[in-house]
Amino acid sequence: MALSKDVYKEFEDVVGAENISDDPAIKDAYRSPDLTVILPGSTEEVAAVIKLCNKHKIPYKAQSTGWMLFAPTYDFIFMDLRRMNRIIEINEKNMYAVVEPYVISAELMAELFKRGMICNVKGSGSTCTALAMSGHGHMGMTTSTGDRNDLATEWVTDEGEIVRLGTLGASDEWFCGDGPGPSLRGVYRGGGVITRQATKVYHWPGPSEYPLEGLSPRYTLSKKPSEMNMMVRYFSFPSIGKLIEAELKIGESEIAFELMGFCPSMVSSNITTSNEEDFETLEQFTREVQGPGFMVIIVGNFDEDFAYKKKVLAQIIKETDGESLKAVEDPDAEATLLFQCTRVCASIRETFRAGGMFSSMMVQGQRYDNHVRWLEEAAVLKRELIEKGLVIADDGQQFGWGEEGGHLGHTEIFCRYNPYDEKSSKAVQEWLAKVGKRALDGCFAVPSMGILPVDVIGKRASNYHIWFGKLKEAFDPNGVGENTGFSYVGADTSGVHTSIYQKPEKASPKK
Amino acid sequence: MAGNESLVKIFGAKNVLDDAETLEEYSGDFSFVSPVRPRCVVKPKNADEVQKLVKWANDKRTPLVPVSSGSPHFRGDTVPGIGGAVVVDLSGMKKIIRVDRAHRVAMVEPGVTFAELIPAVEKEGLRLNMPLLPRKSKTVIGSMLEREPVVMPKYHWDISDPLACVEVVFGTGDMFRTGQAAGPGTIEEQWAAGGAQKTPYGPGPAAWYRLIQGAQGTMGIVTWASLRCEILPKLEEPFLVGSAELDRLLELVHWLVRMRLVNECFVLNDSNLAAIMARKFPGEYQDIKDTLPPWVLFFNLAGYDYFPEDRVSSQIKGVSDITKRIGLEADKAVGGVSAVEMLKMVKRPSPEPYWKLGGKGACHDIFFITTYDKLEGQIGVMNDVANKSGYPALDMGVYLQPIVQGSNCHCEFNLFYDPQDPVELERVKELSAEAVNCLMATGAFFSRPYDRSARMIINRDAAYVDALNRVKTILDPNHVMNPGKLCF
Amino acid sequence: MAIEDYRGDVEMCCRCSACKHIPLQMVKGVEHSYACPSIARYNFHAYSGGGRLLIAKEMLNSGFKYTDKLLDIVYNCQMCGGCDTSCKYAMDMEVLEPIYEFRIRCVETGHTNPALDKVINSLRKQGTMVPGAKGKRAAWAQGMGIKDATKEKVDVYYHVGCLTSYDKDYQKLARATAKILKKAGVDFGIGYENESCCGGRAFQMGYKDDFLKQAKKNMDMLKKAGVKTLVTGCADGYQAFKVLYDKYNLKGDLEVLHITEYLARLIKEGKLKLNKKVNLTVTYHDPCYLGRLGEPWIHWQGKKIPGYKFVFDPPKVYRRGTYGVYEPPREVLKSVPGVKLFEMDRIKEYAWCCGAGGGVNESNPEFAKWTATERIEEAESTGAEAIVTACPWCEKNFNQAIKESGSDLKVYDIVEIVEKAI
Repeated sequence: MALSKDVYKEFEDVVGAENISDDPAIKDAYRSPDLTVILPGSTEEVAAVIKLCNKHKIPYKAQSTGWMLFAPTYDFIFMDLRRMNRIIEINEKNMYAVVEPYVISAELMAELFKRGMICNVKGSGSTCTALAMSGHGHMGMTTSTGDRNDLATEWVTDEGEIVRLGTLGASDEWFCGDGPGPSLRGVYRGGGVITRQATKVYHWPGPSEYPLEGLSPRYTLSKKPSEMNMMVRYFSFPSIGKLIEAELKIGESEIAFELMGFCPSMVSSNITTSNEEDFETLEQFTREVQGPGFMVIIVGNFDEDFAYKKKVLAQIIKETDGESLKAVEDPDAEATLLFQCTRVCASIRETFRAGGMFSSMMVQGQRYDNHVRWLEEAAVLKRELIEKGLVIADDGQQFGWGEEGGHLGHTEIFCRYNPYDEKSSKAVQEWLAKVGKRALDGCFAVPSMGILPVDVIGKRASNYHIWFGKLKEAFDPNGVGENTGFSYVGADTSGVHTSIYQKPEKASPKK
Repeated sequence: MAGNESLVKIFGAKNVLDDAETLEEYSGDFSFVSPVRPRCVVKPKNADEVQKLVKWANDKRTPLVPVSSGSPHFRGDTVPGIGGAVVVDLSGMKKIIRVDRAHRVAMVEPGVTFAELIPAVEKEGLRLNMPLLPRKSKTVIGSMLEREPVVMPKYHWDISDPLACVEVVFGTGDMFRTGQAAGPGTIEEQWAAGGAQKTPYGPGPAAWYRLIQGAQGTMGIVTWASLRCEILPKLEEPFLVGSAELDRLLELVHWLVRMRLVNECFVLNDSNLAAIMARKFPGEYQDIKDTLPPWVLFFNLAGYDYFPEDRVSSQIKGVSDITKRIGLEADKAVGGVSAVEMLKMVKRPSPEPYWKLGGKGACHDIFFITTYDKLEGQIGVMNDVANKSGYPALDMGVYLQPIVQGSNCHCEFNLFYDPQDPVELERVKELSAEAVNCLMATGAFFSRPYDRSARMIINRDAAYVDALNRVKTILDPNHVMNPGKLCF
Repeated sequence: MAIEDYRGDVEMCCRCSACKHIPLQMVKGVEHSYACPSIARYNFHAYSGGGRLLIAKEMLNSGFKYTDKLLDIVYNCQMCGGCDTSCKYAMDMEVLEPIYEFRIRCVETGHTNPALDKVINSLRKQGTMVPGAKGKRAAWAQGMGIKDATKEKVDVYYHVGCLTSYDKDYQKLARATAKILKKAGVDFGIGYENESCCGGRAFQMGYKDDFLKQAKKNMDMLKKAGVKTLVTGCADGYQAFKVLYDKYNLKGDLEVLHITEYLARLIKEGKLKLNKKVNLTVTYHDPCYLGRLGEPWIHWQGKKIPGYKFVFDPPKVYRRGTYGVYEPPREVLKSVPGVKLFEMDRIKEYAWCCGAGGGVNESNPEFAKWTATERIEEAESTGAEAIVTACPWCEKNFNQAIKESGSDLKVYDIVEIVEKAI
């Protein structure tokens, strides 16, 4: 959308000429021919931009770090929040960190490590925003998950009002995000922009900095993980039933720092440095594993704690007929998995390297055992695509991980493919739709983002789409905000998942 | 029953009460809010009746005041804010719908008390993360909806815990299920598919349960809730640590919670610990109190199914490393109080009489959320306000509960008083209003504002109130749900 | 190769933003986590490695639209390759190569930057990248008795480079190098007026034809002189001779060494003894074209295997910055008695650029200075008294930034430190 000169000038007055552009080259990089990109530098600027959007009835979309390639489909103001990149506070005593949207998890984690702490890192990896948002991550067993890590939050509504939740509004402090009275943490994922937020952080008994050696792309640790009271193992099981039994026991016994349900292909991707090496390694792993598996990271607070946790793990694995994958017992492979999964949370190698794209069916926050029957069906359907040569031939498996000591979890299955191959893309979309529909029909779960129309899902889930629509209306009467009423449990407005672009219905921008 | 015929049609005559005695009972509580007589009290038996009632209330523009726990009430939130209200007493909805060991979750109706649920979950090898010695009549749902602090900070990941999902009749009369329970399918179909009603947020981007929690019944009426449960330990090893130096004790608390070494973990002052342990007042109370240091930390180590002895001994090692570093000592007993006895106490609701009432017959609580570094100053402020008003600070109970895994601390002052003594009553009433003001100035966060100061607390932030009212307009457009509370 | 040949690579960009940061494991905090000066300074995604690929992808599909903004994006990049290394930690795809090709396409179609045109005109007229250069190229060598390698056979040919030859402030580096080589008893010579610009900087600016012309000219001269080993103190020159000439099959079997590699060798062999104490705490700046981009060229030709995976037959081996020159300069510094080396947060393959590369010091001096100032601040945070580099362009850019910022940090080329020690 070309803004009129006058309107453009109004936005320019807020952020300065250097921080606004509608040049075609800039737009290409944001993957849309029809937007004006604005780089606000503060909460006040965000609020002012949104107020202007309301004044002129122009839809807007804000993004923190962004991830993946999803093209916006409508004209709008695009706020790239990357100038808002400060860590406001790390409070060790009260175990929280306050960040702006463009602090990435790698930065916050590095700062936290120095203080013997960690935070939740989203599965998309540590290039993404450190805002708590809704992202679920591999370390969820220890670091909780999604919106459950939010504390006080500064939220600019779709009308441009700055709302300060919890202690922020009461006393300009960050330690609590709820109240007084009902908690608006319930609504801010529905729209607006989070400009600063406190997130819970957790104890980290590991080193203040990993003793890394070597050069990219193959870093190693100068110490064996065991010398730091840490251990990484990959176990395979004779059946899904046994795997689940082991997973639940590990969760209940509180011994795992991380329980990540990697398929062998995800392990091989993470410890290898090229596609060729990856697929060779995968072949080897596939021969060695006896069935489905998961990776466990044990971290001891002190020697006795480490010894105890290892002892329990050995016992559980024995009881469930698990087998350790020997390649991961090699201290170099173990070390790589350790720092990949605790600092970087892996991701890019395992998702994008092979084909350039992946598409996922996931259920966030719900335990693996709840959905394994459904996703086993999805895996069968995925293997059909593999046989037809439409998606990357990996092990084809669903995977899941534990969160909050196994109280919650995450379940997912994805296809990796070349997004520019029409046949592949179409096949993956059809697969997603089929699996999504099965989620509803089998009463398993609300399927993930954008797979099925919101009202199709909403009707099967307490008509939440209607209630959400009312919330949206109440906080965004001019309909300028992003329509985030999509389907998966615990969505976010960070733009981490930018597939959610839906044209707001109400705003009719002036051309 | 005149004027209440339509309610009788819904609930049956015996479940619609409007006799003077009943109306008197529901018209006030131990708080300082002005008593208001309700029009009648209804006792629903199921969600269907609740839904009919809310629709009726919308038709008739009649206020509804939901209440689930039995008396005595303390905070004024169940006292009608305006006249002509119907009190919805849910204490009769007592079904324990499900206890699911594998998923570590229970599902209950609003009338189920801690005393009723504890044995039911224990039978399945589970336990509750519960508030400190709730009164016998306190319901599980009532406690969770009020975001009451719980005694095991390790399992308190989010301030909303242990609440999982709810079924709620919004103020509009519409039925809604939150989180994983929302759908697809009925609850029974979800069970059959291998699911549980455990994940709290959603469906969609909103976290609906957060709008219902802390709302004091102003958004809707919950007809069941599920809650996460923890595993019943195989072995437990409780300890007490006494000290006159609160900051040192709090340093220990920080590390115990941070390293997730302990299950139950909280600090009491001598008055509160004595009030909990004493069975006879004032003699036994004073005797116990005299043996105690000003502050006592209670914590408990636990071993589960695998090598519980090994676990506990490794944790003892971890704890002793910290206590040595800080210069404190963990004991099996402090003064006249044994750690094992204390552990027994905190696993159950309070014995009768309720521990806050045993001494003087009434108690007024002032509580807020804060951080460790501010606590000493805030306690000092409270002591000053109390002493200045003529209430001896030394008689005041203090309860410090780390919550949200150590990110915050619940701080509670318990002002015991004789309700029959008008001077004492007036003193507590005045000093509590003064204290709230003074404490707010120190950064005390009254996240759950009740009683006379609630409106003053919540109205300080106009943007926040405006946002809350937008939510309220959606869920209860006719303001039938508990009007007069909070900012509604 | 042309930009069209990288369609598969630009389509592989998944917009993960790894290109904006140093490899994530190496992030040491909220400071010094960025890899790319361009996105760090200009913030619009278009200025990042990934953004440049997205622009290329779009323009490959729908035609090149040369707006002023596009050219601003294209020329405000030091071509430092930080994005390339960070991306290739995880991905198998080219990043910097298509960025080069995009710039080359701009130049080929006449969409140049006037400041760079001026530099190239000087190159065309005078054979140097120092516009307005006056006097003779080897004026600095007057009276030093250095052999003319075009006239007599020498073991080592010392390629001095444009800046070191013509800029009076940096001729000291040439003199120091000659002094050190003499001290070590090396039989070396220079090309005097036959030396010509390596062409590397012209390539970075997108002027591929000018680069090739220079490369051919240089190789003709070197072949004629029978040079087997070339040593240079300029990182751009090193990368041009070693990598670019090889890429375009012009290098033959010429051994190309950076002065730091050669000094490390001389020290190891006992031919160069560093006896004098130099009491100095230093930090070392890895020049991009000596470090990650100094990695040897890999000759590979292959075809994408049809299908959904981005793999090739024969398998493609990527240059990921692993085999740049990182240790020799550090070994040399550690050999100097009294020198203490403190490392910065961003080093080796993920070092932050000095800001001078890609023609930015001419096309946008303010941005070059901004980038250098970031590095100066990073160097200061180590507590070192001096930043040591191994390229005259870096040294000059740092000095200019320091002059304006008023920092106390000293700037040296590594040969100046070695000179003090002999």
